Amino acid sequence: MTTEDSEIKFDRSLLGVENDIGEYPVTKEMIVKFASSTGEQNPIYYDDEAGSESEYGSIIAPPTFCNMFVSGVTRPDIKLEFGDVSLFAGQAIESVSPVRPGDTLSAKTKLKDVYAKTGRSGRMVFQVWETSFANQDGDTVALVQESFVKRNRRPR
Amino acid sequence: MSAVEIYFDDVDLGDEVGPVERVVTDDQVIEFTQVWGREEGPTRFTSPEKARSEGLPEAIVPGAMNIAIMSQLITGWSPTVRLKKLDVVFRSPVLHNRPLTLKGMITDKDIVDDDPTIECDITMENEEGTPHVIGKATVSLPVRE
Repeated sequence: MTTEDSEIKFDRSLLGVENDIGEYPVTKEMIVKFASSTGEQNPIYYDDEAGSESEYGSIIAPPTFCNMFVSGVTRPDIKLEFGDVSLFAGQAIESVSPVRPGDTLSAKTKLKDVYAKTGRSGRMVFQVWETSFANQDGDTVALVQESFVKRNRRPR
Repeated sequence: MSAVEIYFDDVDLGDEVGPVERVVTDDQVIEFTQVWGREEGPTRFTSPEKARSEGLPEAIVPGAMNIAIMSQLITGWSPTVRLKKLDVVFRSPVLHNRPLTLKGMITDKDIVDDDPTIECDITMENEEGTPHVIGKATVSLPVRE
């Protein structure tokens, strides 16, 4: 942690604390519609025969499938004492193991990092949240990392 | 998707992936939001009026949908590809029914923890070449026997 980072005021007790955000039953219909709506061409995501002939033995969900569950998740307020404009900065999804029809995914999110950067528009503070998805066997299937940035409104 | 099997041995830094042309239609966004199941009533994703009331020019494509489409540039490249990680930054809203170009370039190639891995810079651009989404894909490819 840099000196600048240690000066950021927020609720540090939230760092690394996992929060349950819900359970998500996965149906074949969800996977097929996800694939159809995104124009997916690979039949292992919608065709039973192709799925059963694949190394997975059934259709599986496309690799970014879990990403749709993190939209709209309510997270604890970290009480950041900086900035008056909040923006979504970016997202990373790591596909760890396949998601299959019939799986029930449980998701936990935690505050992974809070850090500051200074750019052309001034100082910005980033908060990074990591959400992990595990199936009913406890196997992690995906990790989604989201970054949010807060900065001060530019003077007009 | 391409049926050509690509192996770790076949690719090198600077090699291009794509381009792939895509258009996301109103119907696709509606179908996606139904799977999503969180949106009730008109939203910025399905209603131009609602989008305009939020300062957007028109209805936009959900971020989760953009990421799914970005991933297909990689997973549609070859049946041998396994997408390990996709890291993206949203630069500007993606509007419905507009031509989009997805393309990538290989920027790194290495064996990581015994896994043959490449990194690929990827973009989704509009017709003017303005990027909507940029990012990096980390991809596993098999080695030829």
